[in-house]
Amino acid sequence: MLQYFTRSLLGLIVVLFVVSIITFALMHQVPGGPFASEKKLPQTVLNNLNAKYKLDDPVWKQYIDYMADLVIPRITTGEWKYSVTNDYLFNIKLPVGDNTTLRWMNFGPSYTDRTRSVNGIFKAHLPVSFQLGLAAMFVATVIGIPLGTVAALRKNTIFDYFSMSVAILGVSVPAIVLGPLLQYVVAVELKWLPTTGWGTFEQLIMPAFALGFAQSALIARLTRASLLQVLNEDYIRTAQAKGLRNHQVIVVHAMKNAMIPVVTVMGPLFAALLTGTFVIEKVFGLPGLGHYFVVSINQRDYATIMGTTLLFAFFIVIANFIVDLTYVWLDPRIRFD
Amino acid sequence: MRNLKRTSQLFFALALLLSMVAGLGTVSAQDLKVLRVGMGAAGTTVVWDVALATDTTSHTFIEMMFPGLAPRDETTGLPQHGMAEEWEISEDGRVYTFKIKEGVPWVVYDPATDSVVEVTDEAGNVRYVTAHDFVYGALRTMDPETASNYGYLPADWVEGGNAFNEGTGAREDVKIRAVDDYTLEITSPEPAGFLLQVYGLWVFAAQPQWTIEEHGDNWTLPENYHVYGTFVLKSYEPGSRVEIIKNPFWPGTESHPIPKLDVIEAVFLDASAALAAYEAGELDTIEEVPLPDLPRLQVERPDELYIGSRDCTYYYGFNVQKPPVDNVHMRRALSAAIDRQTLVEQVLGRGELPAGFFSRPNFAASATQEEYPDLGAHSDPELARQELELYFEETGNTLETMPQLTLMYNTSEAHAIIAQAVQQMWKENLGIEVQVANQEWQTYLDLLTEDAPQIWRLGWCADYPDPHNFLGDVFYSTSGNNHTNWANDEFDSLIDEAKVMTDFEARKPLYARAEHILTWEDAAIAPIYFYTKLSMIGTHLDASPSIIGIERYDKWDILG
Repeated sequence: MLQYFTRSLLGLIVVLFVVSIITFALMHQVPGGPFASEKKLPQTVLNNLNAKYKLDDPVWKQYIDYMADLVIPRITTGEWKYSVTNDYLFNIKLPVGDNTTLRWMNFGPSYTDRTRSVNGIFKAHLPVSFQLGLAAMFVATVIGIPLGTVAALRKNTIFDYFSMSVAILGVSVPAIVLGPLLQYVVAVELKWLPTTGWGTFEQLIMPAFALGFAQSALIARLTRASLLQVLNEDYIRTAQAKGLRNHQVIVVHAMKNAMIPVVTVMGPLFAALLTGTFVIEKVFGLPGLGHYFVVSINQRDYATIMGTTLLFAFFIVIANFIVDLTYVWLDPRIRFD
Repeated sequence: MRNLKRTSQLFFALALLLSMVAGLGTVSAQDLKVLRVGMGAAGTTVVWDVALATDTTSHTFIEMMFPGLAPRDETTGLPQHGMAEEWEISEDGRVYTFKIKEGVPWVVYDPATDSVVEVTDEAGNVRYVTAHDFVYGALRTMDPETASNYGYLPADWVEGGNAFNEGTGAREDVKIRAVDDYTLEITSPEPAGFLLQVYGLWVFAAQPQWTIEEHGDNWTLPENYHVYGTFVLKSYEPGSRVEIIKNPFWPGTESHPIPKLDVIEAVFLDASAALAAYEAGELDTIEEVPLPDLPRLQVERPDELYIGSRDCTYYYGFNVQKPPVDNVHMRRALSAAIDRQTLVEQVLGRGELPAGFFSRPNFAASATQEEYPDLGAHSDPELARQELELYFEETGNTLETMPQLTLMYNTSEAHAIIAQAVQQMWKENLGIEVQVANQEWQTYLDLLTEDAPQIWRLGWCADYPDPHNFLGDVFYSTSGNNHTNWANDEFDSLIDEAKVMTDFEARKPLYARAEHILTWEDAAIAPIYFYTKLSMIGTHLDASPSIIGIERYDKWDILG
């Protein structure tokens, strides 16, 4: 187990490094730059901007500087003035000397959102996406798994058809349609919930549902298929032959095993939901992180592109790691060593 | 089942608790006049730093919080008395002396008392806005360390500014100084008719040196954000919400009267989400209206729909070095064959104005086609065909043998619709088949600079309210924004001449002539339309909608 854990951790580091190199190289290859606009900036202003953000250096040097400031912890002493170029994620005060502080992980300043750092963007918007992602995942699971289970157990009955119709509806109606539809019916016409915004529980309901519904459809279909397959396995027949109650066979024996493909999908899905969802954010006016994934690329905001991409890669790797761990619990035959 | 019941009860209790907490805040706000505004697009962030702001949303707030010396009236476009009570211009037109209004304190929001308080210095004395703060503000904006996108604006119009901005000159040599605490003197490198408009801009506003130096980039947090205008920043949630409250210490000026509102709440929403919130009664006004809803709103809510203007022009440019548009008759033919009236009415439909001139009509020195109906580009298929014939005669080409034409735009649904409509008009009126192509925005910008296509689209929005910002700053032969490769000596000398004149009326004919050269005689560009801004304004508001694209909500009121 420990060996597996260490191996995963090393894998994580390698993945992040590879992702960082590819992203950095790609974004500097793409034409344009963070300061290009319809209105051309005078050369002097461009020079000042390039000097401030060190964009004059060769790309390999920019990469090394960026990674060094991100990975290698720094120790500072004396007076410390905040600026967007030196905003560290971790600031740990050491019990020696005059204001000695260990600082680690500087994702750099945003080039387009001039008064914020990438860390500042994370701090402001990741919690929003995180809460929304959790709520959507909750909705997806609570709707998806029961629907799929019912469909599998009552195969080819009205229950099955109903569940799968709901699932197909969920898959085929994208959030960009479902969102405004909910908004119009529930908020504008019925006035049950506020149309937009963030901060209260009421404001969370509609976006969580709109986001979770499509995912629930995916989960329901997977659950059904997987459960149907498991129900035909020998060990299920054995369990039934031993005289276990049907309820027990399904919940304890069949469901657990049937969840393996579902969990496999849910891992990356979860990572994607947590790091922001552009469309739902736009429809409901939520200050989530998804906006920055899209806009930073359009604006060639290099530091923000790097930050969001690395963050997403990090979540994906972690989610997959957790998925691996749950395999052991779901299927005792799976071992890591 | 029992479990499920308990969970649902818990959920219900939680929901109830949350809604109670949410309700608490609004009880005490009952008697206050709160204006709720839907602004910008979802995810819009405000750059509160006066020196660094570049977008309309940021400027909307900064115009209220940092009144300039002579801000432009947003309903007429003319300069007014702001923080400068009076001004004098020297004989040679280069030295401007401003008398700064006395007794305006710097203020900040105090969360402990939930009110606005005056800012004091180390000795406990109230800090008043002085000429020194204006000097600091302009110098900070042009400081190369600040690396402001708009650094060139004050640098261009204060002697010694450009050298300082380039890093070659000293800060001390920039000719902006405080003669005494309330007298500001600015020396321009050359006289110009629009200097007052430039000096009235936000880049010349006062900035609070002490808090900027103490807090660094964190000075824009509400607790450090010292302002002096009509409203004060109370809270800001990036990408979603801003709350600003009335500054009770503001004495009022011609440009910034004492506000009648107590609170302005702004939320950032995409157009359709904003309209939903507006129709549900959650917002009093919204700054954008989704185009598909326009016909419905014109019928259902005609009194609330407002079509205002923005200081922007949409145009097609020609690369005059590439055949066949290297020939002026071909360019004129293409320009005249665009039916601008039909385009704005049938294709765009947001009340846009067809443009035959490049610069916006609503500046003090603007020449307009109403005054000069014979000048500029006109939509006239007959004229277009005549010009095309002239092209054929001059070059010996025919429709079949002339080089293939390509119209390029940056990828966007809106530009695509216009390009297709124009393509159709050229086909019908001239018989020319033009290809349309598009590119991603940044790639497109690179292309324009390096090797502009035959025909391309761009828009231009004003930095300062003067035709010079259009004609001079874009199409002067040396301008970096001129992607046409076109240059004309007469045009350049007209621009030079008009630039230094101070009489608005006397400048008009010069600009009219320059417009005619640009848009017809040489037809380096084909102006298409002037932008508009659609908004919904609740009938319970006493509103003064802006004609310049930046709303001044601090002048609005809620009736009843």
